[in-house]
Amino acid sequence: MSKLYQGGLLNFFNQDQLEQVHQKTLDILREVGVKVENKEALNLFDEKGADVDFNEKLVKLPNALVEDAIDLAPSTVVLYGREEEHNLELGGKNVYLGTGGTAVNVLDLETGEKRKTTTKDVADIAKVVQKLDNIDFFVIPVFPDDAGKEKADEARFFSSLKNTTKHIMGGVYTAEGQKKVIDAAVGIAGSEQELKEKPFISFIASIMSPLTMEKDYTDYFMYAVRRGVPVVGGTAPIAGATSPISLPGTIAQTNAEALFMVVFSQLIEPGAKTLYGTVPTNMDMRTSNFRFGSIEMGMMNAACAELAQYYQIPIYNTAGVSDSKAIDIQSGYEKMANILMSGLTGTNYIHHAAGLIDSGMTAAYEQYVIDDQMIGMVKRVLRGLEFSEERIAYDDIKEVGPGGNFLTAGSTMKYMRTEFFDDQLYDDRDWDDWLKDGAPDARERAKDIVREILDQEDENLVDQELLTN
Amino acid sequence: MTIKPGARARDYKPFSEQDLKQIDDAIMNLLSDTGVKVSNQQALEIFDEHGAEVDYETQMVKLPQSMVEEAIDSTPSNVKLYGREEKNNLEIGENRVHYGTGGTVLDVLDLETGEKRRINIQDVADIAKLVDALENIHFLVIPVYPNECDDQNVDVNRFYSALKNTTKHIMGGVYSIKGIREVIKMASKIAGSKEALVNQPFISFITCVMSPLILDDIYTDFLIEIAQHGLPVAIPAEPLSGATGPITVAGNVTLMAAESLAGVVLAQLVNPGTPVLFASTASAMDLNTGLYITGEVEMGLMHAGVAQVAQYYGLPLYATAGMSDAKLPDIQSGYESAMTTLLAGLSGANYIHDAAGLLEMCQTVAYEKYVIDNEIIGMAMRAIKGIEVTEETIAADVIDRVGPSGNFLVEEHTRKHMRSEFFQPKVSDRQPREGWEADGAKPTRQRAIEMAKEILNSHQPLGIEKKIDDEIRNEFPHILLDK
Amino acid sequence: MSKMEKVVEEVIAGNVDGVTELTQELVDEGTKPSQIIKEGLVAGMDVVGGRFKKNEMFVPEVLISAKAMHGGMDIVKPLLTEGESSSAGTVIMATVEGDLHDIGKNLVAMMLEGAGFEVVDLGVDVTADEFVEAVKEHQPDIVGLSALLTTTMPAMEETLKSLEEAGIRDQVKVMVGGAPVSEGFANEIGADGYAADGSTATDIAREFVS
Repeated sequence: MSKLYQGGLLNFFNQDQLEQVHQKTLDILREVGVKVENKEALNLFDEKGADVDFNEKLVKLPNALVEDAIDLAPSTVVLYGREEEHNLELGGKNVYLGTGGTAVNVLDLETGEKRKTTTKDVADIAKVVQKLDNIDFFVIPVFPDDAGKEKADEARFFSSLKNTTKHIMGGVYTAEGQKKVIDAAVGIAGSEQELKEKPFISFIASIMSPLTMEKDYTDYFMYAVRRGVPVVGGTAPIAGATSPISLPGTIAQTNAEALFMVVFSQLIEPGAKTLYGTVPTNMDMRTSNFRFGSIEMGMMNAACAELAQYYQIPIYNTAGVSDSKAIDIQSGYEKMANILMSGLTGTNYIHHAAGLIDSGMTAAYEQYVIDDQMIGMVKRVLRGLEFSEERIAYDDIKEVGPGGNFLTAGSTMKYMRTEFFDDQLYDDRDWDDWLKDGAPDARERAKDIVREILDQEDENLVDQELLTN
Repeated sequence: MTIKPGARARDYKPFSEQDLKQIDDAIMNLLSDTGVKVSNQQALEIFDEHGAEVDYETQMVKLPQSMVEEAIDSTPSNVKLYGREEKNNLEIGENRVHYGTGGTVLDVLDLETGEKRRINIQDVADIAKLVDALENIHFLVIPVYPNECDDQNVDVNRFYSALKNTTKHIMGGVYSIKGIREVIKMASKIAGSKEALVNQPFISFITCVMSPLILDDIYTDFLIEIAQHGLPVAIPAEPLSGATGPITVAGNVTLMAAESLAGVVLAQLVNPGTPVLFASTASAMDLNTGLYITGEVEMGLMHAGVAQVAQYYGLPLYATAGMSDAKLPDIQSGYESAMTTLLAGLSGANYIHDAAGLLEMCQTVAYEKYVIDNEIIGMAMRAIKGIEVTEETIAADVIDRVGPSGNFLVEEHTRKHMRSEFFQPKVSDRQPREGWEADGAKPTRQRAIEMAKEILNSHQPLGIEKKIDDEIRNEFPHILLDK
Repeated sequence: MSKMEKVVEEVIAGNVDGVTELTQELVDEGTKPSQIIKEGLVAGMDVVGGRFKKNEMFVPEVLISAKAMHGGMDIVKPLLTEGESSSAGTVIMATVEGDLHDIGKNLVAMMLEGAGFEVVDLGVDVTADEFVEAVKEHQPDIVGLSALLTTTMPAMEETLKSLEEAGIRDQVKVMVGGAPVSEGFANEIGADGYAADGSTATDIAREFVS
């Protein structure tokens, strides 16, 4: 099992407010409803007691249907890695952070220029992530331009499987591709049943805001549930554009949309493994540009964890994307602020937390290394002060006394390697030494680490034959 | 939207109630059992007179718990630090959060060349002017030491250059008794009288306690002097984990609290009820290199813990966060500054200094870093203010009206809340890539440099009334700032 | 303040009722419709455009002003004589095949309408053939293609090819936009313009028809 960190150290809502958001959410699902552009899904909702208008394709959910699904959905979902150390126990206040995105560009490691992402980038990023200890899982982050839509699913999942044993999650682009991916995973697992029991892959199939389920995504979602592979019905409303401008309004709508997908999963298969998927975002009202790194986006995503804990359903959210085009100080503060808040509230599966700049449109190799460090720092915060009599170190303070030093104190010897986070990028040179070394900034130091990883032999973590059937 | 200073913090609390009681016990034991070394004759006598156990030979003072508790009781829980304009007044205490500058820095990254060079007196003035214009920096702790000055004339020079360029509250460390008296005299002239200054203090001071557990001769003189004047003073201790403090974060917090409390007790014995800030600049030593560090994540944890200790005792807190060890305003300085700024703020630390402008383990300032930190603080304040939940903000009726597949762009609700609900960044880039490229593909640092230059060119601080200014310049001819 | 100036003010304030009432009054008083458009409704939107560029007005305010302007337009448009036009030009907008995200396209459409363009919105998931049909039917000056998903970018190229095959590519200017789209991509597929956001789209559209 991956090392456990827990949040629950920060709250944006009190109990009354959670209750209020919940009641309004029930109102939205019962009175406003969701448009479902998929015949099969409409039939299913109808059959199970939802109020369905087939002409308008509108589905309204009675409170009981929602509440039953909340009870039925598992409170803990374990997403497996192909090595035990990478297993993730999602639920409660457990916190894991990993990659995410569908970036189409990457900053070339050598030239620093923006170029289109390819299948090789999927493989290389997976290889880098495999070696970065603080990143817990791999949500396939880029679209392989060379593969095209038809071949994208294989290119993305297979390249990932070859290069990382961490849990792999991704969106899919075609029904055929999704089937191929699951079939290959069954082969790797040994049987359909073994994959169901220990799913090391999972899917994302989103709902559109406001309140609309599109036909193909609905198909992908149903197919995943039916084959026993965990799936997230994520929602990403844009405050002020596809959801209300006010943070609680966007959260209420996000909650309605995410819960709708939870209900859907439980109607397809009671007890289906699903996550509550919330990615509230916003638009810059001055320019209409989409934002992925605003502080309010961080607050909303972090606050959704409180709702997930209220419902006792594991949560998938977003934090750690920057709107900056460059790997600069802005990408530093935007990412840190947002992953820190989501970590503190106790979000189970924080994706997008590594590698992305340019509002998620561009990935950068060195950014994965830098973000791995930031994630490590957030986990250090979650470890907290680890309070104990021994850590107060009263006896050492007493023994050292006024004017002494602690360099060789017992507590120093015992804790010096573990009490402080070991930051790989931390620049502890003084100015002169740093200048002598060519004045490298954090980005340059991170690039060196990437090169070191990519220079290593490919490990081929899965038998090629299993991927070619 | 700018969040007003003093927003009340959310409840990030790394210690439990039980933990705090245990820490309290350890602090009281340290003060009454281990004791503090007091290398100052006058202070030894004051402690002696009030019933502490004093050994004049070893200069060891043991403070009975009742003495510490009385001092905590007589310290005002809320301290009003004034600006020279009402909008800049701050109320320090409880869980209200404010951010400002800090440091005692000798070097600056030149705004034109980008090269590191010595700080001069004009830099003090320019930084004050910049801070005056930056809306999220709530106060000025004079962050630099000008190269032209020495310890005998630096105090009046630093405070004068600051007073001339900002009406925000000004706090500063001091270097001589003569300097303290000159600064108070100068500020009294501006206030109208000494009494007016004490009633509405727009300047305040910083002294310090040495780690571990030493009230040294000179700073203790300063502390006694300031307390006698009844002006606000912050009394920080700076134990470095692993070197002058225990390696463990909890231990370092405990030691720091005991040290600052020793100073608080002395100030209250000198002048009961005088406004003091319980204060921490605790950090760590990098045990690989032996260097003092400031950007580590544990620094944020320590100050979140310290905030809880301050709230436990009901003492107003001067805390530290937002520094970076990077040499440049690069991505490292971004994440380090954001991390500790947010942790200290979310825990409700009151007067968070060092939160703007600093690089390189508190050894260099950069104008552009002030501009960037102004933005980081603005974002942190937004997070601290939190999410306001009402029927109106939940907006279920708006969602109902828009319905599936609609949009919210032209809703009156959107127009009404769009300016107040979202922080409006100034330096952060939010353009599509093409627009950014068309503007020269400038990294954030470059945009901030341009903003800093623009502010320094155009901003007109209120300054000091001509007649009073002339009087000050006459009385203190050793003020070096160009007229 | 003259009534005409008041129209300008009410457009800026985004007051639909105010604009409608004042426009009706001006019409009743015998003011020429083309003058109301030029000196009142469009003049108001020009101020709005300027303030938007300076970041003083936000996108929703621009859209609400546009709504107010259209309140007036609906009154004067039927009164225009032959040869007079209230429209800056006609634009066909759609999100290309396989893409169901439409907020970006809707926003650009609203901004274009605000700038006085007639917009025909074909919706989402629109095939190349549907585009060809629509161009034949509406005879637009401009065709705007939007995509949010990476995977749907090839559909833009398809659409351009189909327009060419149908022999109507030269009749229209084609602009493309959407998060994954770039200037380089626009050039690659032979589009006439690329807009990164709504206000750029408006600027480009104005250039195309001028």
